Amino acid sequence: MIVTNTESIAGYRIVALKGLVQGNTVRAKHAGRDIAAGLKNLVGGELKGYTELLTESRRQAMERMLQQAQQLGANAVVNVRFTTSAVTAGAAELYAYGTAVVVEPEATA
Amino acid sequence: MEFLCPLGFVLFFLALGFFVGSNVERSHFRDLERRESLHRDFLVTQVDHFPFRQGGAKPPVIVMADTVIACDYLKAFLAFWRNLFGGEVRSYNRMMERARRESILRLIEAARQQGYNAICNVRLETADIGGSVVSPQNNRPAMAAIQATATAYVAGMPSS
Repeated sequence: MIVTNTESIAGYRIVALKGLVQGNTVRAKHAGRDIAAGLKNLVGGELKGYTELLTESRRQAMERMLQQAQQLGANAVVNVRFTTSAVTAGAAELYAYGTAVVVEPEATA
Repeated sequence: MEFLCPLGFVLFFLALGFFVGSNVERSHFRDLERRESLHRDFLVTQVDHFPFRQGGAKPPVIVMADTVIACDYLKAFLAFWRNLFGGEVRSYNRMMERARRESILRLIEAARQQGYNAICNVRLETADIGGSVVSPQNNRPAMAAIQATATAYVAGMPSS
């Protein structure tokens, strides 16, 4: 499966459109991370727990999106976009969406 | 004497922000500069096509990076005063800059690790993980959460 956030894929030709695919996940931060973040907020620096949380959720949302694409018989997803929305104070939603397509390699001249 | 206790805490935290916080920030900026100079030859573009793309190379792939940077107590304190008078909040400027530059560097490092030498269509977004949009009254400490996305590919570099 080829996944890009561009509209086209260099070296490949889109031969069929399979439509919009999407995946989401709502994650809550656990209290331990909140406490660690509170301490970090005194001295500054990276909040590694939150960074991991974002990365994990992104991966999860994307996995779900790819599952959909696979079911549709696509072999690539183009123009992938991510958005976050805060559902409540303790949780955030990560949403990934893209267009499932079938591509084939361009004949190399 | 009792009322001095919270004041002591505040002063202690401010000092912590002043000494530890600015030290953390300085060393982060140094680290960013060092790593950026390592990747000068990497082609980073924000356009949605593939400049100098090498024919017959391996397929492009999406790369992602997230960075969450916390502000320190001193920054929050300064921003609070800035809020009263208005104007540019420089301490938060630097916090956002750190998160963005770090995210882009992580994109580059991820792409390089997978054997690519260029990324295009770099997109940077802020994420609201503190929940300050849904409940602004809960006064959470400020943080910069940046999500970066790009597509990595192999470019035939124009010979220089």
